[in-house]
Amino acid sequence: MSYTITINGQVHKTDVDGNMPLLWFLRDTLELTGTKYGCGIGLCGSCTVHVDGRAMRSCLMTVKASAGKKVTTIEGLSENGRHPLQIAWLSNNVPQCGYCQPGQIMTAAELLAKNPDPSTEEITTALEGNICRCGTYKRINMAVADAAKQMKGA
Amino acid sequence: MSTTSKDLNAISRRDFLKASGLSAGGLIIGVSLPVSLLGASQGADFQPNAFVYIAENGDTTIWCGRCEMGQGISTALPAAVADELEADWTRVRVLQGDANKKFGPQATGGSNSINQMLDPMRKAGAAGKEMLVAAAAQSWKLPVDKCYAKLHVVYNHVDDRSLAYGDLVGLASKIPEPEEPVLKTRDQFRYIGKPVQRHDQGDMVVGARVYGADTKVPGLKYAAISHVPVLGGTVKSFDKEVALAMPGVVDVVLIPRFEKPYGSVGGVAVVADNTWTAQQALAKLKIEFEAGENGSYNTTEYKQQLVKNVEAPAKKEFEKGSLDQAFGEAAVRHKGTYVGGHLSHSPMEPMASLAWVQDDKCEIWASTQDPAGIQGTIGAYLERKPEDITVHVMASGGAFGRKFMCDYVQEAAACSKAVGAPVQLTWSREEDTQTGYYHSCSAQHIEASVNAEGKVTGWLHRAAFPAIGSTFNPAVVQPTAGDLEAVSKHPYGIENMRVESGMAKAHTRIGWYRAVYAIFYGFAINVFTDELAHAAGVDTVQFLRNIYDNNMDAEQQEQAQRCLGVLDKVAEMSGWGKKMPANHGLGIAVHHSFHSYVAMAVHVEVNGDDVTIHRVDCAVDCGLVLNPDIATAQMEGAVIMGTGLALNTEISFENGAVVNSNFHDYPVLLNSGAPAEINVAFINQETKPTGLGEPGVPTLAPALVNAIFAASGKRYRSLPIQPA
Repeated sequence: MSYTITINGQVHKTDVDGNMPLLWFLRDTLELTGTKYGCGIGLCGSCTVHVDGRAMRSCLMTVKASAGKKVTTIEGLSENGRHPLQIAWLSNNVPQCGYCQPGQIMTAAELLAKNPDPSTEEITTALEGNICRCGTYKRINMAVADAAKQMKGA
Repeated sequence: MSTTSKDLNAISRRDFLKASGLSAGGLIIGVSLPVSLLGASQGADFQPNAFVYIAENGDTTIWCGRCEMGQGISTALPAAVADELEADWTRVRVLQGDANKKFGPQATGGSNSINQMLDPMRKAGAAGKEMLVAAAAQSWKLPVDKCYAKLHVVYNHVDDRSLAYGDLVGLASKIPEPEEPVLKTRDQFRYIGKPVQRHDQGDMVVGARVYGADTKVPGLKYAAISHVPVLGGTVKSFDKEVALAMPGVVDVVLIPRFEKPYGSVGGVAVVADNTWTAQQALAKLKIEFEAGENGSYNTTEYKQQLVKNVEAPAKKEFEKGSLDQAFGEAAVRHKGTYVGGHLSHSPMEPMASLAWVQDDKCEIWASTQDPAGIQGTIGAYLERKPEDITVHVMASGGAFGRKFMCDYVQEAAACSKAVGAPVQLTWSREEDTQTGYYHSCSAQHIEASVNAEGKVTGWLHRAAFPAIGSTFNPAVVQPTAGDLEAVSKHPYGIENMRVESGMAKAHTRIGWYRAVYAIFYGFAINVFTDELAHAAGVDTVQFLRNIYDNNMDAEQQEQAQRCLGVLDKVAEMSGWGKKMPANHGLGIAVHHSFHSYVAMAVHVEVNGDDVTIHRVDCAVDCGLVLNPDIATAQMEGAVIMGTGLALNTEISFENGAVVNSNFHDYPVLLNSGAPAEINVAFINQETKPTGLGEPGVPTLAPALVNAIFAASGKRYRSLPIQPA
């Protein structure tokens, strides 16, 4: 059985086992390693990608379920890393080790796409499922607020 | 240095540049390390380390020998080099050094990188600048003191000529490296003390930063592993055939325990075409384990036993003055027992490594804090010389002390050796949670006396915890005098004191967790001090000031003064003494660890079991701050980690095995749990810089517990206060 998935605008045809989580298809088959493994059971958010515009845990989403859909990973979020969130992440010096940040950014990108003017509480709620062990939460929340401001002004 | 070693040095430099994809035409400068940093084995073949390279077009490369795990060291140290070099930071590329003696000690822990490496790195930069300036002077036929460097260009005071660094590298290469280059004075700093942007964040936000788990090489296979759940246990049986029958499975590898401190506990790995297939096959193996000698380890009972061991006389390790007299003459006496659980580091990137074992070479790519530890362990495992093991140091997705140990690398090497291909091993979160080198669980009992003048006169401190030494030597069954030094040398300087060690045989592997023993020492001492202040009827901040003022120990005057400094600062920042609303409270804690000083004040609101942290103020004395923004981020991170371990996280054992498995039952702090406001102030920056990776962690939990008491009257003496 073969599956067709559009990833970052590129069409991929694959005959891997349809039950393989999208996470491992991205990381091991396509070698798109920006999407990270953190827990494997949808608790940490490190593997967050967009599937048809919705933030999804790629560790829980199979290749079969992704077939025919448009997947965006951190590598495809913007041209040249210039998404307002990516810019705000740098201006707030958010990342420490940086491992969880692709997932944080992808979750935040969905939030801002749906809600261009989130309150502090809405930001926290949206990012509650994205764990950061370095403890960058405060800066993450500031960066999301900055990016929202930036996007409204643009 | 003999001619021969000079030649070797030259060859090595050429190879080094070639390996880094750089042309040999540029200027390369080594760092001379002080003799104290050179191990005995590094005598004859020691070469300058931590190279700086300037290409003919001026592009500059600075290698960082210390490991990057998020703490920002690979920006802070190279930026200091660039400062002394008068380099333009936008022209600088930072590369992580592979395992190599020429980088000096690369083991990254103990908040020691800046302590050890700042001066040698600054000297490397200053030497490079002097060589470039001398080269320009030579080409202009001007005296050197008429020439000066500024941002990648050399100028002179005589005419308007200038030469870019890139144009000078050929000439500068022929100038001998100055042995004692002149360092900048602080008013001349360009990057030191400034919030220079980290070099690695740009890659992080686009998913391009390559961590140990992300490394790819041609022909790569992927592995998953199940470990023996009980330390010292064995694999009894497993169904290899069912796994081998699955498409994509390459091999099933039995990995026996490798009895080295950083070796595997043993287990079974599956090697496959991708990680998922390996995980699927692993689940079908139906592995049965034999528990072995630690099969009855149960942390609930074990901690109860530790409490008994510290509430009765134990082994005396330190004594001064007369505790009996102090207690006999006391106006106030108080005692308390404090308990803490095991912790797991749980970095977001679980243990992961790529190993490629071949007959004539072995190459490793790993997230690590200790490249030489990998060389030693893999060398012992493969019966090869440590220097024959090539270790590429990858970015760590968090480490917190766990990636000092390289059991996961040895397992990847075992898989690679078995299948004859490069293998990337990624532990599942469950394996990461259950196969750790855990922070010690602990019990401490403190008794103290206060005399009629309000002075603390006597301090009895008993501690029992499985010590890290047990990981290296199973004969260690209780804390040593060295393990207890944080108490016996505590800057309170109490005149009459006795420190005792309680029995605590380890039944699991114990390791260094960010801030290590300072977590439970800082907790017990600060909570007890708050209790003692209340018992004596004195405000806690005033009580602490009195203790430090009364410290007459000649060797502790600097420590006591610096503790006072951060205490006074945090009292001011937090508005200590102000009226708080109902159910709100302020708590304070001060701790000196890893050569630095931290005081924290926590503002909490308590409603029933609901604890909300509104604000944390941090006053820090780590001397000169190299990069204020990175340093602030370290403190923010310490507050988050401190909050998580104070409130919720504990690793529990039943029948010798870890009960927790993933983030649902090891609930690290989430976004909503972060304090709404964290303020950080650095004081006493005139002093020599010291580390900051760890010292922020110990103060949060006691300040929080003291704040909860202030808000609600409820006193917690065990961590975590709300176990999952």
